[in-house]
Amino acid sequence: MTDMELDLTDTCRSGAAAPYVRASRILLVIPCYNEEASIGDLLDEIAATGRPYHTLVVDDGSSDATSAVASARSPVARLTQNLGIGGAVQTGIKYASRQDFDFCIQIDGDGQHDPREIETLLDAYALQPTNITIGSRFIDNAGFCSTRMRRAGIRLIARALNTLFAGGGLITDPTSGMRLLDRRAIAFFAKAYPMDFPEPISLAWAMRAGLTVGEVPVEMRARENGVSSIDGLKSVSYMIRVLGYILLARIARRS
Amino acid sequence: MTGVLPSIETVIVISAFALIYMLVLLRKTLQAKFDLYDFLMLSMVAIIPAGFALFPKLAYLVSHLTGVVFPFVVMFGALFLVVFAFMHNITARLHRLERQNWALIQEQSLLTLELKARESGKTGA
Repeated sequence: MTDMELDLTDTCRSGAAAPYVRASRILLVIPCYNEEASIGDLLDEIAATGRPYHTLVVDDGSSDATSAVASARSPVARLTQNLGIGGAVQTGIKYASRQDFDFCIQIDGDGQHDPREIETLLDAYALQPTNITIGSRFIDNAGFCSTRMRRAGIRLIARALNTLFAGGGLITDPTSGMRLLDRRAIAFFAKAYPMDFPEPISLAWAMRAGLTVGEVPVEMRARENGVSSIDGLKSVSYMIRVLGYILLARIARRS
Repeated sequence: MTGVLPSIETVIVISAFALIYMLVLLRKTLQAKFDLYDFLMLSMVAIIPAGFALFPKLAYLVSHLTGVVFPFVVMFGALFLVVFAFMHNITARLHRLERQNWALIQEQSLLTLELKARESGKTGA
């Protein structure tokens, strides 16, 4: 495996921690479920950034040709059964832990995250290192920001996390699937990762354990293929259950 | 303290059910389909009603001591307690199995990936 080498311009922009980031090994974990239509383009976009990122596509038991399309461009960990996003992401984190990567960056396989924004996460880490750096859609409110109902739910979840936990900065996008984990976060999540509603609950678990969380604005694109699994009444159920889990995490901290 | 005692027919029916049911459970336990804990908990469905039918005075005493008017209410209460304890245990076991299944599937995929990398002469990604 080759080390990451950012060019001079990036190093200057990155600030104090830039030398460490420059010498880092970075793994992009891409969880996928039936994303044969988008995964190829996404991997091509990652390659087009010109950065020596390592990629791992985690095929979460797809019934289409996701693995076949992805394996032509990247290593693929194929789960024999669908474990859900939590199981897929943790597979990538375990891989990052065992292969001794410095950073693990999660991006969705549906192409909603622009791979060029990975640089934004790394720069944010270089300027102000936090164990978890989230790519937030709601700091600049640029690009695709989901439906109004879902935004309201996300705001409520963010408020619950910010009120109940103190993990550094203010969280605005707890459900973002674009996030950077440093070594401490990789080690933490390789051991335990939530099965249900992993994005917001993992933040609660991390902050309970004393990990720090930061955010950086990113733009998200609308889905070109497929549909979201959380819509309509499901989003209400999602919100209630997530709030319950966050409360549980808080109580566990107190006891 | 004692009210109406169960008739001989009731005692025979409940005892016969208890006997047959426990024999079935015992057979399944010997076939390793259940473990001893399952056997004991499932047996309660037979043991508790049989106990109340065979020892009615004891049933009335328990009813009196717990402040419940009818012994059959105490009996159903005891059965519910056993069912909830059993369900609690099963839920915990199910969750543990789910976690283990999760980990096994992850490990299998990572080992396959490692094997492929070794076969193709690569180390890591």
